[in-house]
Amino acid sequence: MDKTAHGILARETILGDMVQILTDMTSDWDLGFSGGVGPDTRLIADLGFESIDVVQLVVAIEERFLQRDLPFEKLLMVDGRYVDDLRVAQVVDFLHEHLAA
Amino acid sequence: MGQTLLIGLDGATFTVLDALMEDGTMPFLGQFVARGTRAVLRSTPNPLTPPAWTSLVTGRGPGMHGIYDFIRSQERDGEMYFTLNNFRDIRSETIWSMASRQGRTVTSLNFPLMAPPPSVAGHVVPGLTSWRHLRRSVHPPGLHERLLAIPGLSFKDMAWDFELEKKAARVVPPEEYESWIRFHIARERHWADVATHLMTTEPSALTAVIFDGADKLQHICWRFLDPALAGTLSSPWERQIRDLCREYFRTLDGHVAALAALAGPESRIFFVSDHGFGPTREVFRVNVWLHQQGYLQWRDTSGLDEAGRASLERRINADFALLEWEKTVAYARTASSNGIYIRVAGDGGASGIPAEEYQPFRDQLVQSLLEIAHPTTGERIVERVMPREEAFPGDSCHMAPDLTLVLRDSGFISIANREPFLEARPEVAGTHRPEGIFIAGGAGLCRGLALPPIEMVDIAPTLLYCLGLPIPEDLEGRVVRDAFEPACLGADPPRRGERTRSPDSLVAASPAAEDADEAKVMNRLKALGYLE
Repeated sequence: MDKTAHGILARETILGDMVQILTDMTSDWDLGFSGGVGPDTRLIADLGFESIDVVQLVVAIEERFLQRDLPFEKLLMVDGRYVDDLRVAQVVDFLHEHLAA
Repeated sequence: MGQTLLIGLDGATFTVLDALMEDGTMPFLGQFVARGTRAVLRSTPNPLTPPAWTSLVTGRGPGMHGIYDFIRSQERDGEMYFTLNNFRDIRSETIWSMASRQGRTVTSLNFPLMAPPPSVAGHVVPGLTSWRHLRRSVHPPGLHERLLAIPGLSFKDMAWDFELEKKAARVVPPEEYESWIRFHIARERHWADVATHLMTTEPSALTAVIFDGADKLQHICWRFLDPALAGTLSSPWERQIRDLCREYFRTLDGHVAALAALAGPESRIFFVSDHGFGPTREVFRVNVWLHQQGYLQWRDTSGLDEAGRASLERRINADFALLEWEKTVAYARTASSNGIYIRVAGDGGASGIPAEEYQPFRDQLVQSLLEIAHPTTGERIVERVMPREEAFPGDSCHMAPDLTLVLRDSGFISIANREPFLEARPEVAGTHRPEGIFIAGGAGLCRGLALPPIEMVDIAPTLLYCLGLPIPEDLEGRVVRDAFEPACLGADPPRRGERTRSPDSLVAASPAAEDADEAKVMNRLKALGYLE
């Protein structure tokens, strides 16, 4: 994985991995969504995610980045409530902040 | 050495199978039993699919492998967080790993909690995995594409469906019975096709496949299958459903006959179930009873705004209890766990009973549970209450419910907030029983023998023996020697071997690291609360 001089994964690298994960995950989902996965893609509105898919995405991210301890509640909960949807860029920002060197 | 074939029949019971073998619905199985060895296979203390199959494939009890339920959950900062268990949560080595690291190929089909799939010598197609994720959850990579070559194979129809699974625990309208049964007839064909394809094109030393339709049918259609209730079926519709249930088992018999033929005369074949089945006639709403005793307080939801109500709906639909944690000291988290958790102050939450009062509190609660009497007959409702150290000894004991209940009809508790705490069901339903099935036949196995009950943890050592491998000294079970002919045991006696290996997730964690990991795991569980 491409890391900066400080050992932090570059945002572009994370985005590339996320696009790859999501493209692979949803490739046979029979979605009406026709655009490629990008930073503005929404997990629920565009990719048709259900709660069980979020769990699988977390597992896929942990497997890809070899880390099981990411504080996903900071991504999925705001002010004690679950978020209504997430853009890929938000996931990338979260991972950029929390992935260890 | 011939192949070893393990056929899992989820929820199978001799109560039903004996009648179906006798009336000719399952001719192959009838002949196989007559030529083989049979025994009751005792399930885990809570006879439930995830812990029971995990014990079967690890040779360890839940107290060691750490799987107690479909989900794992933890109370933290006054909230409950939960997620689905997966392969990484199993804290013991599986037989797939034990075999493949010693040069034996394995094929594991439809076993729960096998995703993300372990990297074994052979194949893994996991159970309890949605079709949306099945392609990425098979091993080795590329297997999915190879399986698509099977004519008519549908991953959508073969894979786990979260919403459909919920049906098994609920009332299905009569007009949906037929489609429910036909769905499972079709589903078994897909798994049989996958097993047939792999046994033909890429055979493994051990092939293991689970057919889980018996469990799904029996939950809903028990009254159509229980020989003792056969006389109660009078309407044409009831007879039609009974016949359709028999069609399921007739078709299943054909699948297993074909797989046995494929395995060949030199093979050893085992039929096992994760638990048995029987009738349940009442509902025990344990959290309502705990509330009446002053142990539990339901959450007041009257002041919630629209967003809060939406969140509440999701939680209720997910069958998890909504409680006022500060005023709750004992509660059940899920129906399937059959367990009660005791909240100890400072142990996950700030409130709870003081740690020094835990033992007398628990003793009193056990006594009170055992004294619950039917309001009319006075009969006891709770047959047995098992403290966790008794039911689940081992390194993972602390993850178990404090108390595990055995109800008088072996049914699952209800965690619904609805009076009364005890109510008769409108009609008989099916529920799990500890007594499952074990049938063995083939090269070197005894013919026409009925053995005393054996344990779920005995299967892994028995399979390892069939693979010509030593039995790790830390397995809890034993080879079912009595099922084998003396000449077979004499020529090839079971050998003890080195201990099992730790799963990757447990490797090299220092005490300090474990403390840090625990906090991080809490965060992860919190995040995965999104599942609700």
